[in-house]
Amino acid sequence: MSAAIADLLTAALAREIATSGIRLFAVTTPASVAAALAARELGAPELALAAGFSALDGAPEPAVTRGEAGLLTRGPTFRDDPGDVFVALARGRVGVVAQPAQLDASGRTNLSGIGEPGHPRVALPGARGLPDHRTRSRVWYLYATHGPRQLVKRVDVVCGATPPPGALRRLLTPAGCFELGERGWRALWLTAAGAELVATAPAFGVVLDGAEPVLEQPDAEALAALERVDPHGVRRIEFASGVDAPRLWRAAAEREAA
Amino acid sequence: MPESLSAEALPGLIGDGALIAIGGAGLQRKPMRLLRALVAAGRRELRVMSFLGSLDVELLLAAGAVAELHSAGVSLDAAGLAPHYRAARERGSVRFVEWSEGTLLCALEAAARGVPSLPTWQALDTDLPALNPWLREGRDPFTGAAVMNVRALRPDFALLHVAAVDEAGYAYLDGDLAYDGAMARAAGEVIVSHDQRRGGEPRLAALSRLWIDATVHAPHGAWPTGCHPLSGVDSAGVAAWASAGQEATVALLEPPA
Repeated sequence: MSAAIADLLTAALAREIATSGIRLFAVTTPASVAAALAARELGAPELALAAGFSALDGAPEPAVTRGEAGLLTRGPTFRDDPGDVFVALARGRVGVVAQPAQLDASGRTNLSGIGEPGHPRVALPGARGLPDHRTRSRVWYLYATHGPRQLVKRVDVVCGATPPPGALRRLLTPAGCFELGERGWRALWLTAAGAELVATAPAFGVVLDGAEPVLEQPDAEALAALERVDPHGVRRIEFASGVDAPRLWRAAAEREAA
Repeated sequence: MPESLSAEALPGLIGDGALIAIGGAGLQRKPMRLLRALVAAGRRELRVMSFLGSLDVELLLAAGAVAELHSAGVSLDAAGLAPHYRAARERGSVRFVEWSEGTLLCALEAAARGVPSLPTWQALDTDLPALNPWLREGRDPFTGAAVMNVRALRPDFALLHVAAVDEAGYAYLDGDLAYDGAMARAAGEVIVSHDQRRGGEPRLAALSRLWIDATVHAPHGAWPTGCHPLSGVDSAGVAAWASAGQEATVALLEPPA
């Protein structure tokens, strides 16, 4: 994927977080760290960033070798009880980015495996926190691709349940931004290639009416904020192709080691 | 005050078939020195709990030491999927008990409090109860609401790694405590390896000496995982393991001289 699309999606996520009204955002990937840090500059200066299970108000940075998402904080932070993240989820006060291997037309998620539950043809990392998102908290799904492998009619293993009514679930892909409603996913806006990409995952159930706005350039203010908080572009690694990703990861790791 | 042990003494305490909880999360603070001692002693049929596993699980699987694995996820973070874990699940060569992050914490809390189970809203309407006999859906006796009852899971041992301990046995670390505190309160015995000794300042400690039975001085004891802020993840070491795939052997996780 091009750096331009990576920036477009991360900038959109930053704006989403900044305007969501949440007080606490749980970062899970370098791109989500960058987006959340940028959101602070876009009108949410008091936004707390949960950097791991015991630092709900931490100071993470976009990184590849400091925990899964640069979760190790710069400087001391208040040490929370690890169970407090689930308290925040239960009270609906938290937003989070998730990247399940499969997301389906009803908003169910899978990170356990491909194939029959308990007998995976392809074993994936595991359910992680997906079963713990059964709340009205805000969840954004962020994907580097938009296709039939990830976006399906029904997930193979239900790790995350269909969210309760009123829960905000938004999906950001190279095709655009989508929101889950009572009748499934609908497009809020598309990228220039959005309509073509949506057609590659028909089972996911998105129907376009041709009136969707098209977003061709990243939000300039959000992109400028991203450049300030992530000057080395670590956010782009998780969107990079199979050829580029290892090269970018090694370069980031060497920079962080130095 | 916790007893001071050598890593080599560990196999004398932990026998085949024990349920061991491994601290840290992902590629941070895995007690690799302690685990290497178990592997060197040829431990078998271990029941392993790793909240978020990485090279800890990979080492034990590569050594053929695991009979049962409890986890919410195992990967090599940005370096990709964990090859031995993936193969073990696809072949069914170990009993894999799949947890969510929240339900595993419930199981530890129930064990720590000495109650048989705890209710939660987590994992309702998912396939997890079919993959995990410690989870059973039921009804709250007061409201009739659906709840997930999580059975207590009490590790025989918790093996943790921290940056430092003091003379009294308090443990110190920077960065995420992950589930180390919950494991320490739930386990029968708690063994903590540490990079350094430091002066006592209990108000800054991450773990009280009340929950620690023994400490092991193990400089670089988390290698190749990180121990913030003393050492970062050895990215080359992780990449080498990922590149070797299912051919990766325990020799790859021997620390450099």
